[in-house]
Amino acid sequence: MDMRSLFPALDRQIYGKPLIYFDNAATAQRPQAVLDFQRKISVEANANIHRAIHKLSSDATDLYEAGREAVRRYLNAPARENVVFTSGTTASINLVADCFTQRYMSPGDKVLITEAEHHSDIVPWQLACARCGCGIEVLPVDEAGEISVDELDSRLAAAGGRIKLVAMTHISNILGIVNPVKEAVSAAHRHGVPVLVDGAQGAVHAPVDVQDLDCDFYAFSGHKIYAPTGIGVLYGKSRYLGEMPPYMGGGEMIDTVSFEKTTYAPLPLKYEAGTQNFTAAACMAPALELAKEMAEDAEVQDNLRSMRDYLLVELDKIEGLRVYGRPRDPEKKIALFSFTVEGAFPADLAQILDKMGIAVRSGHMCAEPLLRRYGQTSMLRASLAPYNTLAECETFIAALRRAVKMLR
Amino acid sequence: MKTIQEIQSDIVEEFSVFTDWMDKYEYLIDLGKGMPLIDEKDKTEANLIRGCQSRVWLSCREEDGRLHFAADSDAIITKGIISLLLKVYDGQTPADILAADEEFIEKIGLRENLSPTRANGLVSMIQTIKAHAAAAKASSAAPASGRSIDEDIVLALRQVYDPEIPVNIYDLGLIYDIQADADGQVFIKMTLTAPNCPIADDVVAQVREAVADVPGVRDVQVDLVFEPEWTTDLMSEEAKLELGML
Repeated sequence: MDMRSLFPALDRQIYGKPLIYFDNAATAQRPQAVLDFQRKISVEANANIHRAIHKLSSDATDLYEAGREAVRRYLNAPARENVVFTSGTTASINLVADCFTQRYMSPGDKVLITEAEHHSDIVPWQLACARCGCGIEVLPVDEAGEISVDELDSRLAAAGGRIKLVAMTHISNILGIVNPVKEAVSAAHRHGVPVLVDGAQGAVHAPVDVQDLDCDFYAFSGHKIYAPTGIGVLYGKSRYLGEMPPYMGGGEMIDTVSFEKTTYAPLPLKYEAGTQNFTAAACMAPALELAKEMAEDAEVQDNLRSMRDYLLVELDKIEGLRVYGRPRDPEKKIALFSFTVEGAFPADLAQILDKMGIAVRSGHMCAEPLLRRYGQTSMLRASLAPYNTLAECETFIAALRRAVKMLR
Repeated sequence: MKTIQEIQSDIVEEFSVFTDWMDKYEYLIDLGKGMPLIDEKDKTEANLIRGCQSRVWLSCREEDGRLHFAADSDAIITKGIISLLLKVYDGQTPADILAADEEFIEKIGLRENLSPTRANGLVSMIQTIKAHAAAAKASSAAPASGRSIDEDIVLALRQVYDPEIPVNIYDLGLIYDIQADADGQVFIKMTLTAPNCPIADDVVAQVREAVADVPGVRDVQVDLVFEPEWTTDLMSEEAKLELGML
């Protein structure tokens, strides 16, 4: 597969230097196929879905539902009704936080989250729990960045039924470690507790089988998986999606409306109030097709592994540099490295690297509690995608060495 | 002493020799390293300006009608730029500081560092310098007894900034109600721009500290509410202008 030619954004100069895009965990670049599809829909099928009888509307509806079917296949979800479109992972988690706490939680109950969560999997729970007199409990990660399923098991046993839900990340956006989600889900289910998985980073790493994981909710975003921004997915088991109340009220999510009583649309439309981002939803089809193709392509996967291995070795050689997220099994690490360098502040490094054409992320990266756990307020992160190359990694290491030298 | 305008011209001339970005950064890094640090005792929460990328501390003291600043940041390039800003403003009068702008930043090609999206604390720092100047000017203009406690409280609130928006919280319209009774008990009702603001506690703490410093105030109670919801309509004309919304 000639990756580079598929992504027109890569073919650019930044301050006269070829762009090296290493901020893929935040937003991935979009392939030409998705860009073309987005434009085609905007020109040929721009009309409200599920509403009107006319041709444009029915074409738009077909495209939207084809996007849903592509998501269903990618996640191996049992049925269309299990796949809800949202605006992104954050919106998906907020939806569950609101509706789940309303339906299933009473004052004194708790949600268990891990220490490695993104703010988007912390704050929605804090807000929702505050509204219903509930609280959160935190499962720590160890120095290596790993969670312990045994610890999860004993926390749930000790909670005496007060923990009503576990929310955990599939792959932390800082640590880049694939968490033992399947084992965690089975431990939680032994205690009768459902699990939400934040798949913002997990879904792009490899196709997900929600039936095999047996998780109760799975959330991810389009823009990290080669689709446009503003589209996200919430997978949910039928039982929960069926029993929870609607989230937002509005058009599309209703069955009949009267001032006395309104009944709601069947799943998944019950959770899709208002005009959806149908263009972006439809673009999930070509985006996920490519994601799957890349995940199954041996050459692409070899490239990702060799970039990961090369970067880890080279980063370790830089004096005073510490990489966070060092799983005992090195194969659990993805090509995502968050690190700090003694004597060189992350924002400074990022600013200098930017002028060398290299896009990396710096700051607290929306995971302040996890950074605090390691005694940091800020880190630098390089996150790679299949379209990155080993040559780019070499340039990055040379540039990083130069930047560190300037700052020390 | 040179005027603000003269110092800015000097800096622009100094930077004109750099043709390469790396040289410019090397120079800023040197400036940052050489900058006298803020006194450790002044590295307080009240003097902290929090950004997403880096933190900045700024302290200010007035001497013979002129303002003296000290600052620090955990990011060295930011610190380099701060040292240029302090070179311009340190030792100037409040009136001159208020009248000036920081055009040199743009002229030396560092404008991107002042973009609110950079979240490095610099924009808020400049606003804080101006707020110090405004407060100093106001306190010298009016005799101590000339202002009501309410006015003093507003002045104090104007020195508290939303960390991501370069406008103080008073002009942003985040303060819904101020009540001060004769015993110095102050009650403030306020909101935040977003209910899930991750630094809500910090803003409330800053409000409490700022108001507690007002002479005559004995106790401050802050009630954080999200009803009615904050909208941009609540911003002052000045604030809208500042954010380019007018």
